[in-house]
Amino acid sequence: MSRLKRFLKMAFLLDILQGLGVTLRLYFSRKVTVQYPEQVQEPAPRFRGILRLHRDEGGEPLCIACKACQRACGTNCFDIEGKKEEGAKVMRPVKFDWKLDRCSFCGFCVEVCPTAAIRFSREFRLTGTGKVGLFFRLPDMYLAGEDLQEHLCAGCRRPQ
Amino acid sequence: MTPFVAEVLIPVGKVVAVILYPMVMVVVMIWLERRVVALMQGRLGPNRVGFQGLLQPVADAVKLFFKENIMQRQADTFLFNVSPVLVMFSSLLAFCFVPLGEPIMLGSYNLTLWIAESPVGLLIILGLSSISVFGVIFGGWASNSKYPLMGALRSVVQVLSYEIPIGLTVLTVVFVARSMDLVEIVRRQEASGVWYGFLMPVSFVVFWISGIAETNRAPFDLPEAESELVAGYHTEYSGMKFAFFYMAEYAHMVLVSSLVVILFFGGWLPPFPSVKALSFLHAAPGFVWYLVKIMFFLYLYVWIRATFPRYRFDSLIRLVWKWFVPLSLLNFLAVALGRFLL
Repeated sequence: MSRLKRFLKMAFLLDILQGLGVTLRLYFSRKVTVQYPEQVQEPAPRFRGILRLHRDEGGEPLCIACKACQRACGTNCFDIEGKKEEGAKVMRPVKFDWKLDRCSFCGFCVEVCPTAAIRFSREFRLTGTGKVGLFFRLPDMYLAGEDLQEHLCAGCRRPQ
Repeated sequence: MTPFVAEVLIPVGKVVAVILYPMVMVVVMIWLERRVVALMQGRLGPNRVGFQGLLQPVADAVKLFFKENIMQRQADTFLFNVSPVLVMFSSLLAFCFVPLGEPIMLGSYNLTLWIAESPVGLLIILGLSSISVFGVIFGGWASNSKYPLMGALRSVVQVLSYEIPIGLTVLTVVFVARSMDLVEIVRRQEASGVWYGFLMPVSFVVFWISGIAETNRAPFDLPEAESELVAGYHTEYSGMKFAFFYMAEYAHMVLVSSLVVILFFGGWLPPFPSVKALSFLHAAPGFVWYLVKIMFFLYLYVWIRATFPRYRFDSLIRLVWKWFVPLSLLNFLAVALGRFLL
């Protein structure tokens, strides 16, 4: 009986029509495509975007130039020099060079930082046309948003 | 109307149209395929170039124009170059015999919507579509590479096998219409009041499935199984030569859809001719109905592609030799008997 049923189903193309019905239903279903420049998908909370330095609430830099990140870094991204001002309690970096093209986003520097000065941001737009934009000095490490894009794109002539 | 217009301009215009019409359909078809398959897979598909991505095929073609023409060092130059032309030529030439609608009277001039009306038009179209097999096998052999050769062999086996049920089902239509003239077949359907697809559903189904196999389309696209093989017989082709194979495949799809519409669904005839309330359907000119119908079948091509997984090669051959050939033979006998008795 079931063999006959199966044969009839096949002979009258019922299973084929059923399959076509499935795709037709999907045809009108909601689409998962995110149309990138217009719609931007928020990255996950723990997303590892570009590394950024942070300041405390008073606007004082958190970094104490302990060079823990420099030692932890597996790819030698950092070149840090600190200096203690007369009467100041802690050291401050006077040179903080960081190379994005060397960074592998492993996160060792973030883990090791005693003051949580260096953290991952959620910025994922990291393209430029030259190596210049991938080299960050101390003030560049605080850039974010469009300022960061401009820095990354140093040397490319993009219509503003 | 001056003789110059009637004897030079209109024929030349028709020749241009018969080349442009499949080309435009190919462009629409490529866009339709990419959009519809994407929508059925929950994606959006190309929607940036032009309105809703309509110019995407044009962008693809421009890209292919500027691609390098690579040829194998030991390829057979002549056959390698001639096979895309052969495939394309046979697809385009067949469109000369496809009637798009009733003749239009322009004053005293009778403008026919076909280039050639032949009493054996159907036979010529079937013959021309078989010529493209030569293009495939020449291309596969001349590439001097094993994968195109294997792809070409698969393709030829498939196309030749499926031509048998196609021939047998076309014969049933010829039997009932008592003509091989495509225009005449449509006129007979008009006169008898019933489209042959409803009169002979078995013929239609077998013809349509075999037509999909004949054009090497999913789920019978084994010669060029995109997700498994490289590209089948046109692996070694690049640039515009590749585009020729590609366009010829789509033109062939348009041809098969046209044949289905003409043989089984009344060509340019509007639907429901006997229902008085629906007589407003006759207001649209014939070729509009023709276009609507072939668009449906082209859509069905894409729909089927998006739905079914690919056949294995042995099941493909088993399907045609163990099911379609006996089925179409029985169908042929039944139709012949019916024609003899009625």
